[in-house]
Amino acid sequence: MALTHPSAAPAPVAPVRASVRPWPDPYLDVEQYDPEGDLLVLNLGPQHPSTHGVFRVKLWLDGEVCIKAVPYAGYLHRGVEKLCEKLSYVMIPPVVDKNDYLSAFTNELAINMAFEALNQVEPPRRAQYLRTLGAEMQRVASHLLWLGTFGLDMGGAIGGGATLFMHCLREREGILDCFEVWTGGRFHYNTLTVGGNRHDVPAGFAELVTRTFKAIRARLEEYDALILDNAIFRARTAGVGRLDAQLALEHGITGPNLRGSGVDLDLRRDRPYGVYGELKVNVAVRSEGDALARYHVRMAEMRESIRLVLDLVDGIPPGPLCALKPVKLPSAYKGKAGQAYVSIETARGELGTWVVADGSDKPYRCKIRAPSYHAVSLIPYLAPGNNVSDIVVTLGSLDPVLGEVDR
Amino acid sequence: MSDDVLALLRAQLGVEEVPAAGVEVPADRLLALAGELKRLGFDFFVYCAAAHYPAAGEAPDRVLVEYRVRRLPVEDLALRVWVPTGSSTPSLTSVWAGADWQEREQYDLVGVVFSGHPDLRRIMLPEDWEGHPLRRDYAIDTRHHPWR
Repeated sequence: MALTHPSAAPAPVAPVRASVRPWPDPYLDVEQYDPEGDLLVLNLGPQHPSTHGVFRVKLWLDGEVCIKAVPYAGYLHRGVEKLCEKLSYVMIPPVVDKNDYLSAFTNELAINMAFEALNQVEPPRRAQYLRTLGAEMQRVASHLLWLGTFGLDMGGAIGGGATLFMHCLREREGILDCFEVWTGGRFHYNTLTVGGNRHDVPAGFAELVTRTFKAIRARLEEYDALILDNAIFRARTAGVGRLDAQLALEHGITGPNLRGSGVDLDLRRDRPYGVYGELKVNVAVRSEGDALARYHVRMAEMRESIRLVLDLVDGIPPGPLCALKPVKLPSAYKGKAGQAYVSIETARGELGTWVVADGSDKPYRCKIRAPSYHAVSLIPYLAPGNNVSDIVVTLGSLDPVLGEVDR
Repeated sequence: MSDDVLALLRAQLGVEEVPAAGVEVPADRLLALAGELKRLGFDFFVYCAAAHYPAAGEAPDRVLVEYRVRRLPVEDLALRVWVPTGSSTPSLTSVWAGADWQEREQYDLVGVVFSGHPDLRRIMLPEDWEGHPLRRDYAIDTRHHPWR
């Protein structure tokens, strides 16, 4: 490509720790590095729109180039894990819905699967099937919002301004309509419970879903062509925010961020749950590790999820929706003592729940392993050596949801 | 569990099999065992979690710290360390760089001290927060500074 852009040039050499680790030192002593105090300290966030929520990164800048970055999380901390100790099993799903507020369905799925593993409850096949369908619909909805906001971070990737954002929100709206006729909720469904689902799909659901996802599939090709033809988009993402595979593994990075760095791990295929064992999930992997590779992985995942949704929605099996009898009072449901860790592949990666129970109607301890928390912890490694505009692109390409980071 | 992992655990800890919940490791053996596991290919750091157990009968007031590490394709191993209150457990940040934020979170919320951690600060709560909310004796219905 003829176009040259500062980000296409080799990044300035960032300070590297004396040890063997080949990445920038996140614990750099600024006093020692810059005794004269010439560095500019800049706070990116917490109210900056490109931080995708409420998140602050303190940057030490030498001119335009970042020397050290320290993220500050916790602005959205709601004490969810403490609430889990104070609420009974059936009262927890609506609370964890709001963790990753862009994919509530998979939040519910992850925590209920942990409770089911703890209590050795197996949901009926129809419930499993609908959960798999909902999880794939949710993945497309979540990736669509990522694509839109990534376009915003890029200063308007196609057409300028918020064009791409508006287009993507329009497509996502169709998916939210599907969830609305299914569960009654557009964002936060509270439709899954221990042992099964609460809501059955209404008549005509398959036609609505097929129509919606076929429309999205056609438009997605258009957006992909428009974005990739855009020289500015390519120049701003190619080679930016390069994530080393070893660094990603040590940080527990999962999902598209890991697969963009060449590691082929997808729990839908490698540790199947729901009805994924009966499906063939094609996993997209790119080896470059930069923001453009993560873009390609997410676009491929959206196409794959649309294919899965269209395949699944035509064969919803008959049968019961819940393995347990409904309880009149939340406290009437008693859990077994023990502990379990169950994880699923959401749009952002591995969402797991470590639950310890003492046999009462509430969990003893509930730890939520949120993929965004791990992704955000990469900022001190990815930011040094880049200029500020590239840090915004890097953060956007990691697709963190701050509700999930802070919980 | 693979044979090489079992052989390592037998040599280091003298355990014959790994329970489903994970293998219990004394705090002073943790760092050496973690280094050996990483050499066997356990590159992937899944999480670090902690649960507080108040003193009950013979048992002292203590915290259970659980690390989960993974080797690809998917093979998980959970390491469990019991840390009595007032004592500390070694930080695994020098082995897996990603343990940094995981341990900071457990320090902040449960109050476990990880010795040798490069940057042990609160992460979710403000620096001046008193107490560690996920301890069992920190109740939801009592007032704590700085709620007022």
